[in-house]
Amino acid sequence: MQAAVFSRASLQLPMPSQATRRAVVSILLFIVFWEAGSRSKEWLGTALPWIGMVPAPSAVLQVWGGLLTDPGYWQSWYLSLMRVLMGFTAAMLVGIPLGLLMAVSRVFNDMWFPSFEVLRPIPPLAWVPASIIFWPTQELSIGFVTFLGAFFAVVINVVGGAKSIDTRFFHAARAMGASQWDIFRRVVLPATLPSIVVGSSVGMGITWNVVVAAEMISGGGSSGSGGGLGFFIWNSYVGGSYEQIVVGMISIGIAGYACSEALRRLGGLATPWLRKR
Amino acid sequence: MNTPASSTAAGAPPWRGAANAPTTVPGSASSSRALEVPGVETYSQEWICALLRSTLPFQTLPEELLHAVARLARVRSYAAGQVIYRRGEEADDIHIVASGRVRHELLAPGQERLERTMHSGDVFGWAAVLEAPRQRLAETTALERTEVLQIDGEQLLQVIERDPAAGSVVMSRFAAMITREFSAPASVAARVRHLNGRSAGPAGVPTGWALTMYRLAQWLKSPRPYLMVTGFGILLTLWYLTVEVWKLPRFADMPGLTVVVKEMFSQDPTYGLSVYTPEYYQHIWASVRRVGIAFVLATALGVPLGLFLGWSKTFREYVFPVFETLRPIPILAWVPLAILMFSGTESPVIFLTFLASFYATALNTMLGVESIDESYSRAAYCLGASKWQVFREVIVPGAMPFIFTGLQISIGVAWFSLVAGEMVSGEFGLGYVINTSYTMVRYPTIIIGMVTLGLVGYVTSAMVRVAGDWLMQWRVRELTMGGR
Amino acid sequence: MAAVMETTPARAVSGRTAAAQGAIRIEDVVKVYDPGGAAVMAVDHCSLDIAAGEICMIVGPSGCGKTTLLNAIAGFHSITSGRIWLDDQLLCGPEKPLADPGSDRVVVFQNGALFPWKTNLDNVAFGPMMQGRMSRKEVYEKARGMMADAGLSGMEHNYPGELSSGLRRRVEIVRALMNDPKVLLFDEPYRALDSLTKSVMHEALLEIYYRNKVTIFFITHDLEEAVFLGHKLVIMTSRPCRPKKVIEVDIAHPRDYGVLTSSRFRQIMDETSEVVHEEARKSFAAGEKEG
Repeated sequence: MQAAVFSRASLQLPMPSQATRRAVVSILLFIVFWEAGSRSKEWLGTALPWIGMVPAPSAVLQVWGGLLTDPGYWQSWYLSLMRVLMGFTAAMLVGIPLGLLMAVSRVFNDMWFPSFEVLRPIPPLAWVPASIIFWPTQELSIGFVTFLGAFFAVVINVVGGAKSIDTRFFHAARAMGASQWDIFRRVVLPATLPSIVVGSSVGMGITWNVVVAAEMISGGGSSGSGGGLGFFIWNSYVGGSYEQIVVGMISIGIAGYACSEALRRLGGLATPWLRKR
Repeated sequence: MNTPASSTAAGAPPWRGAANAPTTVPGSASSSRALEVPGVETYSQEWICALLRSTLPFQTLPEELLHAVARLARVRSYAAGQVIYRRGEEADDIHIVASGRVRHELLAPGQERLERTMHSGDVFGWAAVLEAPRQRLAETTALERTEVLQIDGEQLLQVIERDPAAGSVVMSRFAAMITREFSAPASVAARVRHLNGRSAGPAGVPTGWALTMYRLAQWLKSPRPYLMVTGFGILLTLWYLTVEVWKLPRFADMPGLTVVVKEMFSQDPTYGLSVYTPEYYQHIWASVRRVGIAFVLATALGVPLGLFLGWSKTFREYVFPVFETLRPIPILAWVPLAILMFSGTESPVIFLTFLASFYATALNTMLGVESIDESYSRAAYCLGASKWQVFREVIVPGAMPFIFTGLQISIGVAWFSLVAGEMVSGEFGLGYVINTSYTMVRYPTIIIGMVTLGLVGYVTSAMVRVAGDWLMQWRVRELTMGGR
Repeated sequence: MAAVMETTPARAVSGRTAAAQGAIRIEDVVKVYDPGGAAVMAVDHCSLDIAAGEICMIVGPSGCGKTTLLNAIAGFHSITSGRIWLDDQLLCGPEKPLADPGSDRVVVFQNGALFPWKTNLDNVAFGPMMQGRMSRKEVYEKARGMMADAGLSGMEHNYPGELSSGLRRRVEIVRALMNDPKVLLFDEPYRALDSLTKSVMHEALLEIYYRNKVTIFFITHDLEEAVFLGHKLVIMTSRPCRPKKVIEVDIAHPRDYGVLTSSRFRQIMDETSEVVHEEARKSFAAGEKEG
């Protein structure tokens, strides 16, 4: 009896939760359907619409394996990541102060927010040609468009967050003798941080979209600029290596997810009071 | 903060026609009234009319009636701290603050106490226009030296009855003001007096149009529209200067402001696209059609999916992981695959737009369902509702505000993807226009395309918002009441 | 350690017989939560008897578990052990840890749960309309009548968001009563109201009670409210909760606000406030968050 109890206790593995099990099942099912659908031509005779054109997961994995040793593949990663980071950082550096200024100064807001709102509906990619005309290098033009995409998202979130700060925080601070600068530094800034974090996540998503699209549109380019994962995908399409398209897509997905996750961690560090709710 | 007692002091209000200043009996805060001022001569008729015109109830009154009402007005003066009237007193006159400030503490039946500060142009003492018995519902005190216009309720009604149509509008507007600006319950506003038997209660409340006009007038009085125009002006001037006047090298190839404007509005544009050319509208329609199809499909599929994802734990645990795994892939990375999967030039573009929209809608809907306070569904179960009834009567309406926020995001995202799709593959459409204008070196058309995109994008987004407001009257009303 | 407080036999209160509707019996109920492995006991062997038609006030410090008890009766939470009876029907027990929610026990929630997207009249009519036992015409007639009785006529076509919170509570009570419930469960409904509105609400509630004679299970942390409204006062310990002291409030019904200054009222307050305060201090020291 004792031995049984002892062995049960030591051998007891943590069972994965029901949610995890179900997730695994559904993803596996998805891959199975994908595989079957892609190979529909072989076992059905005719290719299924839509899914029949997609390269099979097995083929994709094979090609990917080959690419892992290709330096060009990793350089695409590097180029895209660099562009994302630079555009994103620029958007934060310009967007956060601008947003805070709009939230804090009524006059500044009334003067510039309408212009901001007029420019915002124009999709970032529509700026590409204008950007290319204006900036001397292709890199700068892609960078500018990337910046724009994230910029609007960040500012909107910052303004929204700052405007919704409970006025009682201000009353409390003033009652304790805080100056305007103190109030800004110790009330407005920390209270707006959660919205800054949200704005940055949204901005990050947009940034990846813009980088990928811009890379596709501006093509390979000459003299070292161009390239990147977006270009990789487009080039694979043009060159007929369709499995590489999917490899590229998944790679971007992973890269994007890693960036968002890093942002989430940073955001959590900056707003510890939210985590401990 | 107290204004000087004598009007001969510097800074006397400009509306004083005659030299005699209104006097107050000092110190008797317990006695209710000040000496009546020998009339209206100390205030010019024009000034009183202007003051009346600026208030919500009298704003739309025709000129002659407005003058007639102005003639009824008497002015009374109160010292700082003096009580103007107390709760429970008989209500004869309506009051309008001419100068100074008044503290107004309202306690309507069943309501919490509401305190407001009244300034010049604010109307109070409206209990005088309610059905008998008329008692004051609030206690009002002058916060500083204050002058108040008082108009007897009976006399007012006799005057405005001369024009029954205009008169009932006035009473409706009183009712609207009572509900909206004093947050009184509908039962109070329902007691606003009838004119010749016609009801002036909340059923006749001018929603929408009249109120919008009033708010518009207020907005125009503030510095905001002028600042806005200044901001636009600065940007446009900068554009004009850098390209066409200073001719900065960086801006050498940029199309100038005047060039673009001339091109956009010319009957015979150099590059073939202006508001007068049919091709312009063909391109707009091509883009709008694509967005429309994609958006409708995305909503039709995304909302139910989001609702079920939020509602059923089982469903979510099976379906959401696949959803989440595909989500990090940027929509635009799907472009080549979409071209592979879908034949023709239209379908890939629509698919991309659909995909972006679908994700945004489904995700926001799911979040919306999760954000519904569980008390609502619990209450429904308590009241005997079945699971399906709870879904239909609680979950769906409860998620609506979030769904509409999601739809606004969704349409923005749709335009974003559409433009990219059109630039890469596609014929016609605004994205296509921008791209080809660039390759064919028709630079002003690029700007025309961008501006049009912005406009159309804004309009479609506004349409979604308006649809949401229309469907969710309860939310609009809740928000205008300050979300209490 | 089961601390079974002396229970009063199910007795008649103002004309309702014991065989009639609404007597609640809580037998040795235990509720243990398990958030991520840390077993937290919210209710510790609680036993309580509430007579049909009685107003039973549950008083206790924040976070002590009294809402858990209410949720167990209502059917929102399961119990770990013990039984809860409503008249002769077993709501939940060892074979059935989660009761079925039903319109015989309607909850009035702390922050109000009137559906903001329905007008007040539609809210009030909701229960019978969902149950489908009456025709639409009958339901709405009854709804209008009950709203008028509660002094709410004129507000049928407004939305809850347009009313003050005091009025909203009243609408919610009417909504509950439309279903002829045996029991009304109140979860600190007047917590967020100012004391002036509260006093109006108390008199309104009593008015409604005198007309409908439902059993009332009312959670509050306001001792004065409890003594004013209740037939019986149950003072709960800090978490995990069980009844520490049961007090019969023998002030005659119908009551009005004059009661507040009566000597018997003051006496009962004296008896109970020290006990309540002691538990409140324990709760505060343990750092309990409001439930």
